[in-house]
Parts: sequence; C-alpha cells; structure tokens
Amino acid sequence: MNSPGTSFGWVEVVLTILKILLIVGFCLNFSAIAVWADRRQSAMIQHRVGPNRAVVNVPSFIIQGILTAPGILLGALAALGLGQALTPQAAIERMGVSLQLIVFVAWFNLVLLSWRVSRKGALNAFEAAVGSNLPRAYFYAGLAGHVVVALVSVAVARQVSAGQIASDKAYLAARVASVVLGGLMGASGVYAAMRIPKGPVGIRLAGTLHGIADALKMMFKEDFIPKNADRLLHALGPMIALFPALVVMAVVPFGEQLCFQDVNKNGSFEFAELLRVKGAMARDAVCEGHSVPLQIVDMNVGILYIFAISSTGVIGAAIAGWASDNKFSLLGGLRAASQMVSYEVAMGLSLMGVLLIYSSLRFTPMVSWQNMYAWGIFVQPIAFFMFLAASMAENKRVPFDQPEGESEIVAGYFVEYSGFKFGMFMAGEYVEIFTGAAIMVTLFFGGYTMPFLFADGIDVTIGETTFFAYKMNHLAVTVIQALAFFGKSVFLSWVIIFFRWTLPRFRYDQVMRFGWTKLLPLAIGNLAVTAVAVVAIDAAGPGLHSTLKLLGQLSHALVAGAMLVLPVGLVWLFLRPVESTRFLRSSSARFAAAAGGVKPTPMQA
Amino acid sequence: MEPLDQDLEEGELEMPADPMMLNMGPSHPAMHGTVRIVVELSGETITKADVQIGYLHRGFEKMCERGNWNQCYPCVDRLNYVSPMLNNVGFSLAVEKMLGVTVPERTQYYRVALGELARICDHLTCNGAMAMELGAFTPFLWYVRAREMIWDIFEEETGARVTHSFGRVGGMAKPPTAYFKDVVRATIPRVLAVLTESEGLLLKNRIFLDRLENVGKVSKEVALDLGWTGPTLRSTGVPYDVRRAHPYLVYDRFEFDIPVGTTGDNFDRFMCRQEEIRQSARILEQCLDQMPDDGPINIDDPRVVLPPKEEVYSTIEGTIQHFKIVMEGIKVPAGEVYSYTEGGNGELGFYLVSDGSGTPHRVRIRPPCFAITQALERMIVGAMIPDIVPTFGSLNMIGGECDH
Repeated sequence: MNSPGTSFGWVEVVLTILKILLIVGFCLNFSAIAVWADRRQSAMIQHRVGPNRAVVNVPSFIIQGILTAPGILLGALAALGLGQALTPQAAIERMGVSLQLIVFVAWFNLVLLSWRVSRKGALNAFEAAVGSNLPRAYFYAGLAGHVVVALVSVAVARQVSAGQIASDKAYLAARVASVVLGGLMGASGVYAAMRIPKGPVGIRLAGTLHGIADALKMMFKEDFIPKNADRLLHALGPMIALFPALVVMAVVPFGEQLCFQDVNKNGSFEFAELLRVKGAMARDAVCEGHSVPLQIVDMNVGILYIFAISSTGVIGAAIAGWASDNKFSLLGGLRAASQMVSYEVAMGLSLMGVLLIYSSLRFTPMVSWQNMYAWGIFVQPIAFFMFLAASMAENKRVPFDQPEGESEIVAGYFVEYSGFKFGMFMAGEYVEIFTGAAIMVTLFFGGYTMPFLFADGIDVTIGETTFFAYKMNHLAVTVIQALAFFGKSVFLSWVIIFFRWTLPRFRYDQVMRFGWTKLLPLAIGNLAVTAVAVVAIDAAGPGLHSTLKLLGQLSHALVAGAMLVLPVGLVWLFLRPVESTRFLRSSSARFAAAAGGVKPTPMQA
Repeated sequence: MEPLDQDLEEGELEMPADPMMLNMGPSHPAMHGTVRIVVELSGETITKADVQIGYLHRGFEKMCERGNWNQCYPCVDRLNYVSPMLNNVGFSLAVEKMLGVTVPERTQYYRVALGELARICDHLTCNGAMAMELGAFTPFLWYVRAREMIWDIFEEETGARVTHSFGRVGGMAKPPTAYFKDVVRATIPRVLAVLTESEGLLLKNRIFLDRLENVGKVSKEVALDLGWTGPTLRSTGVPYDVRRAHPYLVYDRFEFDIPVGTTGDNFDRFMCRQEEIRQSARILEQCLDQMPDDGPINIDDPRVVLPPKEEVYSTIEGTIQHFKIVMEGIKVPAGEVYSYTEGGNGELGFYLVSDGSGTPHRVRIRPPCFAITQALERMIVGAMIPDIVPTFGSLNMIGGECDH
C-alpha cells in the first residue's frame, strides 16, 4: 500500500501490470511444464521413454553462439567488474561469492561433461579422464569444495576485519578470484561450443518442448462443436474453467515488499526512483520511501476471496457438461458440480483452525507469523492434509477425477471439446495445481520466507544463543524471498502431480461419503481443538510462551537442515546411476544386440 | 408445486422425469471394443442393463469347416487372443482324441509349459487391465512389461509373439529350442517379482480395495447354474479345475494348489488370478525338471504327421505322404468327440464331428466367456456406473471366443 499522502501515480499502474504479467506468464508457462512433468513422472515410474519426441532443429552456429556468447560476456563482466571503489569488507565478500561461483561452475560443467561422455563417448584424453568418474562423484566433490570455500572466506573476513591482512591484499584476492571465474566461464562456453557437431542440432530440452508442441497442435486443430450443442455456453465453459484458476493468484504474495527511496522527498513515486532500491532495512522497520508490495492486490478479505473465486470454477465444468449435448458430458458435469461444491465446505472448514492461529485473513500477516514462530505444517499438520485432499478434489485430480473418469464416462464434461477449448480445460487444470500449491505454500510452508532469513539478513538464533548472523541488503533478501516462493510452489506441484501415478480413483459415492462423513467432521473437530488450544495458550504464563517460541525455532532449524540435506539425498537416493537391466530373450533382440544395438527398445525389461 | 412430505411416483410430478438411457459401447474405453451395454439409469444407479455381445463375430466355426484339420490352427489362435497357446493345445488334444493317438511324453511336457506360460499372460493382462480401468495406470504397465518377457519366450519358440499357430495334430510345429528351459527359468522369477511389486502398490491401497470388495458378487449356486468355470467359478468357492478334476496331458504328475475365493466378488476374482499365476509358476518349475531333453516331438504315424523335409525331397514315399496330408488333409475317422481343457478363463471345450474326409464336418467351441458374460447383467443391476468397470474387467470377457 502506498504511504499516506501519496497521490495516484503511473508508476504504480506500470508496476501492477508488470506483476500481473509475471504471475499470469508464470502460471501459463508452468501449466505447460507441469504437463511435461506429468509425462516425465509416468515415464520414470513405469520404466518407459518419456516425452522426448518434440524437437527443434537449430543450425550449429546458432548453438555455438548461444554457448559461447553468455560464457564470454559473463566472464568479462566478472573479470572487469572490479573497476568501482570497494570497501575491504565488500572486496572480501566479492571474493567469497566469486570463489563459490568458481566451484559451482567447475563441478556443474564436469557433471555435464561426464554424463555426456558416458552416453556419447569421449573425444580426447581429457574427456576420457573426466568420464572415468561418475557424475555424482563431481557433485560430491563440488559440495565439499563449497564448504571449504565458505570456511576459508569466513576466516579471511575475520582476519581482514581484525587488521591482520592488509586491505590491498584483499583487493588483489578479489580481483584474482574474479578473473579466474571469468576465465572459467569463458573457457567452458568455448569448449562446449567446440564440441557441437556440424549441421543442424536437434534441441529437445529434456522433453519440455513437448508442452509447447502440444499447445501448438491444439491451436491448429479443428474446433468441433456438436450439432445440438448450445454454442454460446459451449464456448463459455472452458473460459470460465480457466479464468478463476488464474485470478486466484492475485492475492497470493510472492515476496514481502520492495522499498524504494523517496529521493525528491515530495511523496510522489516517479520513474527515476525505480532505480533507487533501499540499501538495507532494519528487522521491523517500516518502509519510509515508496513501498511496493510483491502481491498484485492486498485485500483485507484475503483467503475469503480465494474461496469465492475458486468455487466459481465449478460453473465452467457444469456448463461444459450441460452444453455439450452428450449424456457422458452431462454425467461428468453433474459429478463435477456436486463434488466441487461438497469439498468446498470441507476445504473452508479445514483452514479455520489455521486462521484462528494466524488471526488474520490477509496473507502477508500469515506469512510473517510463520516466519516469527513456526511454519503452518508444524502448527496444524492435520489441517494441511485435509486441505491437500480437498484441493485435490477441487482440482479434479486423481484419485478424485470422477468428473473425467475415462474408463467410466469416457472423458466426462469435456468429451465433446477439441482444439484449444480442450486445451483451456487442460491448462486450467494444471494452472490450478500451481495455484493450489502456491496457496498451500503460503498457508503451511512459510510462503515467501525462508527459515532464519529476516528483512535485515540471516540470523540463526535458537533460544537466546545466536549461532550465526549475517547482514544482507534489501534487494538480495527480496530476490531470495521471491525465488523461495516460486521454488517451494514448484516443488509442491511436483509432489501433487506424483499422486496421479500411484493411486486408482474412487467411486463417485465413495468420494462424496469421504467428503461429508470423514473430512467434514475431522475439520470441525480440528477447529474445536484448535480453538480450545489457542485460548489455553493465550491464558498461559510466559513460561509456556517461551517454550513454544523455542520449539518454533527448532522447527525452523529442522526445515533449514532438511533443505541442506535434501539435494544430497536426492542425488544419493533417487538419481542413482541406472543399471542396465536389459534382459535379452528373443532372438531378434539378440540379433539387434549383436549388430551393436540398433535402437533402444521403448519397453526395456 | 407438489407437497414435499408425500411420497409420489415419479410420473406424478409436475415435471415428469424419464429414466436416462445410456449406451455404453461398443466404442467405449471399458468395453474392450467388443460389447455394448445399454443401461437405464436412475442418477448413477443402474436400474436395467442389456448386455449385447456379437461385435467380434467372425464366423470362425464355419471357417474351420472349409479347410483341413491343420488349417484350423490360425482360426483357433484368434479365439482367446490373450492366451492363444492354450487354444492350440486344446484343439490338438481334441483332434488327437478323435484319432485315438497320444503324443510323445516330451511334447506333453512342452505343451504344458507353453500352456502355463500362456495362462500367466492371460491373467496378467486381465488383472492389469482391471487395475488400469480403475485409474491405476502404473501396475498395468508393470504387468504388461512382465507379459512382454513371456511373449519374448514365445517369439523365440514359435516365431510369433501373439498368434503362434504352433500346435499340430500329433505334435508341435517345432521341437523346443536348445535353451528353452534356461530362458523360462530365468524369466519366471522376474515375472513373479513384478507381481509382488504391483501387489504392494494395489493391495495396501484402500481406494483399490473399496472399489473391488463386495462389488459384483456372485454366489456359488448362481455361478454353477450359469455354467461358470475357471478362475471366476473358483472365486465363488468351487474348487473345480479341469487340470485337477479331469487331468489331461501330464497334469496329474504335478503338485499345485487350486486357489478358491469365499465371496465371489471382484476382489476374489482378482486374487484368484494373482494366485493362479504363482501356481502356474510352480507347475512350470516341476514341468521343466521332468521334461526330457531329447526324444521325438511328433507321433510316429505317417498318416498324421508331415515327414521331414529331406525325406520329402529324396524319397518317393515321403513325397506322396506330404502330398496326401497337404492336399487331402488328415483322415480323421468318422465320429464325434467333445474334448475340454482348462483355458485362460475356464473350461475351453471343442466339439468336433468328422465324416472321415480330410475336412472337419463340424467344429463347435464351448467358450468359457460365453457362460461368464451371461451373468454380467445381473451383476451390474443395482450397482453404479463406475462398478461396471471392475466387474466387467474381472470377468475377462474376450470377444474372440465369446462371439462364436
């Protein structure tokens, strides 16, 4: 919100449009990526070839340019970026960041190269040497390198501030690190470019182009409308299904705020001031300049707006089912309507306990509450699982996909849709996955915050002991927050998509029974227990309060630890090197293998 | 507006409601492309159902009567196209019964081994497709992967993955390959591992169990009245298996259990098939141990079996013998016979009439599916639309043999 006395300005309008574009663009792109993720997961779990057919053939010189230019540009920027005057502290910081980036670029490139060599063979002795180790070995070595560099940087920073190392040496170290980083980036770009063979190169981007190809296909397909269909409602259905999914995101914050300095002191926000982001912020300081909330609109009804809008999605499915003039569509539309309306109730009630605890309907206070105490998942775990189930039912995802259950009512309410109208239903479904994940992240996973990250930097304090503190400037904190929000939402979407490949679907009456006789009483019980607990805790003495505060900080520590362990665990457990379990039985398979293997069979045993 | 506190017939309402007729199939994902069910709905509940078969009718019995006895095999293959080898074996046994000959022991073991492999394929396909139609796509693809391994064995042995046409009157088309036993021994544990893995995904899943348990129940008496056989009959609790009740080939030499269900619902049918795969693996293991490694594969009767090719080209007897069998067919003595074996879905019977010429006078099949599909109507009336899917899936209706 603008500070008092601010008049209407074009800057706000432009910024709001930018925010809307960011969110809508992200959602639509993510829906394409989510389709890819869906297919990719099915391929992983079912041992099939995933989506990889879509290919764009690009001439090799363009690929070489793409690989070389950024490497050289970034390298030059890193090497020459020391022209400005720096304090010794800033120089040491820059050295630390450069060293970390050197380690990252090194191991990342080695992983890529080793993986490439293992698939396509080595071109020279260097590549053979790189390929003799598994990619994961480079990853582990890189992790160790990151830790060592972090320790060295901290030690050097202490020495400099204690005056034991002269500041000119600090400048020299920073410059050397930057030059090395620049050289490494440039060299790896050039080497990758040299490796590109002549002739057009097929770009597949791990199959993500599949989503784009699908969308293009849908646009050019015939838009079939049944003879007796209601043409207006038939066209309106998909729009109503897609619209709420996008609009819901308007109130979800993807960052706290961006604070700009009020340079000309006149209270009005001008375009020139957009470059003057505030340097540092105190922990609980209010922005004195121009504050831009990182949220399209901050409504005081917050979560109620989400319930209101998302429940209109049912109209799209119901209209589509009715207007298609098909009995299967009608059954699907009826199922969709009754299921979504029923789960709306449980969904709303499951969140009441959380709202009691946060004592706000707006999202920003909820997020700051979680940052101050503990993430919602620790406070209200049952509510989270109920909300997850209810929102899956709202999204009509497996196991709640009765409205489109393809083996029963063919495709349900969109059986008579083709072309991009069907595409809109599909995009709407995948956008809803993301918006549902975003709402869950905001309510239960700390929203845009990270554990121990505050407006003024990192501060690891548990109880009264401060383990680690580090000041950061305002822009860095805000960028980390936005990345955290999108990262968490994407991760949760990935998890939600995974259910589809492990669960069968309910029967229609079982869904309704589950919603009304299990979920709803559980939600009411949860609300009652929470209400009693909130009153009891409010009445309790300061002893309990400080214990709860300590528990909250421990939960933050747990999350932070999990975030550090997660990537290692992912590599260690899930990205194991694939053992060749090919089992040749038929003579044709043996002939193929004897001939050097013509083509990997799509269904390897 | 009519008063709400009185029970009114639907026709008395101001806005009379007609029951909705819904035509499911023959082009419907759950109908396997071969059957049509016209249901009358009240809400989602089925009040009337009319199951119409015949969409895969190809006149196979008539086709068999146009050629000689060995020319029936391609038609017989396409009866139950999920386990064609069992049809091959069944038809061979029927003709041999008429001829009054018994194939050599090695062939008997070979037929048992190939037949049990086909039975595993059949059950894997049925259970996998049933899970897929309930929305669990992953187990289906795992099952198909296991079936793929077995089809590779078939490809190696017969040259074809599905429709083998491998049986012959008085033997088989070819002897087993040198590594037949090794390949089967290597493959079966992998198939069983897939089975166990998929059970972990399905049998601990409340949703899956809720969809199957107490749905599509059939009592023992009704099943017997309708003439059910096979896994569907055993799921109701009747331990009738042709392999045990009337042993043919060398089935009396193997130890195996007959799994039976208790309630005859979809879940019992699913579990019976799962367990039968394991029993088939047991039979295979014993069969491979007992099967002789060498010995004749065909009977030594020049009137029935084609002579080896070198004799055809080098001796006048061989040439004539070859000519007579190919041009006139095997002279099966006049008479009639009913022979029955345990097919993938139950008792697969062949009723053959011969007039003494080289051509069958009448070929009549007793498909297990035909009796089983009769019950579908009474199983789904009163249930809901989603219940059609697992019920129909667990009956494993195969259009090829049902529409005869």
